[in-house]
Amino acid sequence: MAASRKRILKEYGECMNDTPSGMKINFDEQNITEWEILMDGPDQSLYAGGHFKLRLTFPTEYPFKPPVVSFKTKIYHPNVSNDDKGSMCLGMLRPEAWKPPNKVISVLHLIQTLLIEPNPDDSIEPTIANEYKDNRKEFEKTAKDWVKRYAK
Amino acid sequence: MGSSTYIAEEELAHLQKLSGEYQPEVTGPLVGERQSSSAITTEYANADPVYRTKTAALPSKYSHYRTCRGDGHCGWRAIAFTYYEALLRLGDKNRFLEEETRLRSLHNLLNTIGFQEHLYEDFADECFELLRKTAASVPAADESAAASLLVSFNDEALSMAIITYFKLLTSAWIQTHANDFQPFLLDQDIREYCATQIEPSICEIDHVGMSALAEVLVKPAGFALEVLYLDRSPGEEINTYHFDPLGHDGLPIPNPPMLRLLYRPGHYDILYKMEDIHIPQAAPIHVALAGYADEFVPVGRGMSDVMTLIPGMYPTGLGQNWPAVSYDYQPTAIPQPQMAAVPTYAPVPVSTTQDYVSHVNPTIPVESPIGMSINSPMTIERGGPFRPSMYELEPGFHSGQSHSLPFQTSIFRNSHYNTAHFLNPDFQPEEWTPDSEYVTSNRSRNKSSSQ
Repeated sequence: MAASRKRILKEYGECMNDTPSGMKINFDEQNITEWEILMDGPDQSLYAGGHFKLRLTFPTEYPFKPPVVSFKTKIYHPNVSNDDKGSMCLGMLRPEAWKPPNKVISVLHLIQTLLIEPNPDDSIEPTIANEYKDNRKEFEKTAKDWVKRYAK
Repeated sequence: MGSSTYIAEEELAHLQKLSGEYQPEVTGPLVGERQSSSAITTEYANADPVYRTKTAALPSKYSHYRTCRGDGHCGWRAIAFTYYEALLRLGDKNRFLEEETRLRSLHNLLNTIGFQEHLYEDFADECFELLRKTAASVPAADESAAASLLVSFNDEALSMAIITYFKLLTSAWIQTHANDFQPFLLDQDIREYCATQIEPSICEIDHVGMSALAEVLVKPAGFALEVLYLDRSPGEEINTYHFDPLGHDGLPIPNPPMLRLLYRPGHYDILYKMEDIHIPQAAPIHVALAGYADEFVPVGRGMSDVMTLIPGMYPTGLGQNWPAVSYDYQPTAIPQPQMAAVPTYAPVPVSTTQDYVSHVNPTIPVESPIGMSINSPMTIERGGPFRPSMYELEPGFHSGQSHSLPFQTSIFRNSHYNTAHFLNPDFQPEEWTPDSEYVTSNRSRNKSSSQ
């Protein structure tokens, strides 16, 4: 739709001007509703050294519905679903909390922040969340292990 | 913790996710067609007695209603739609421009609150574009303008953009008038309230939001908002809440255009009173007038001019009464005698004019000039723009003729005033009389030669 197209292009412009560090956006002019994002694990996080591929999908109702974020690279994280979807759905990305004026760049920042500090209280994987809370050592070990295995 | 707890939690999380994703299937148009409100009464015919009593009286006061799709935006959409509709009803192009200017001036509030212009301008542009489009449709002043507004509001993207824009205005208004709204929010932070209850794309309007929207959108436009709360609370009347606009002098504006909503727990629809509805004026009276004015058929807009051209008739002091006189549709009084069947019609020329005069009398104080000019039918030299009518020229004109010809407009032909209509009490099927056709053409030639 014309309206959402205009908005997506605007958002892309803003992300290009001020790309969060360690991120690269692959933008396909033929299909502007799917962004491929290459993200380095933030230095201060467990995921440092990993390279993650994400997909940002804009629904046709965008900006009235939130964009959908999914990890294409496997990651051990309480807020990312541990399946082939790798979906992430929390905070501003929830359909009921999404506001049309929200910016994509804040979504990207949110993802980075979550890698640095997971949010176990708003988790999509309760098992991992509990491990994060109760057995941090084990959690860190697995997370780093997965970075080596999947995100190199 | 044992693994069983985890499983239970995962299951719960799964169920939570399912219920979170569940959306009741919503159907129907975003904004529906206007329909008779007796449908509401019927809908509650089998409901509990409180609803039954409350809805029974509804259609007598509020003749029509319009449904809104219950997709979680209905309250916002209902107000947005009625706002546009009320502007359209005023029929003044300048009002649309005024509203656009006023809304633009509110962008200061949006900026103060920290919304960025490049993010809200898309929504605002959609809103203004529809204002302009609707303004452009005003001169048409017919059903097509209303229909095209309805179509626009059923465009999901457009109607969401307008709703979003109004939500942002509402949020900005609440935050810049914190003192007015804080008391209603108890201990909730006003910023947080707006972020969670106003701005998200999926959140229905609540009372605080509605008051703020009334303040920022409805009242400054000079409109009043009326909400009928149809719920199970005791009583026989539906509770009504008013938001009334104040004029510059701080006093309520008398008889403001009304936006009316019907609230049923969790859902808003739009209501109308009879007086809110602009019913296209029926035209059948033209047919009757055409009867004795021969080929000179005063139609539609030109009517007022024609009336002022009658000697002795001046619009001065009568204001815009003429159209009322000519359009006023009184099915019982006038058309009947003129449409009477052939035999009763024949001797009639005078009585027709009498009918006309007596119809005009009650509305127009200066009736004598009409009476004089029309009641002296045999004087052909009158001056003025009227050609002599056929009655003046040929008193016996109608006697041998099927009179039906001059009256055959499609409106009349299909109405029950037509004696050829099966519902007419004096039902008389149409007959083809070749002779009379011949006579007619002959007569008209005679007439033109005599002029």
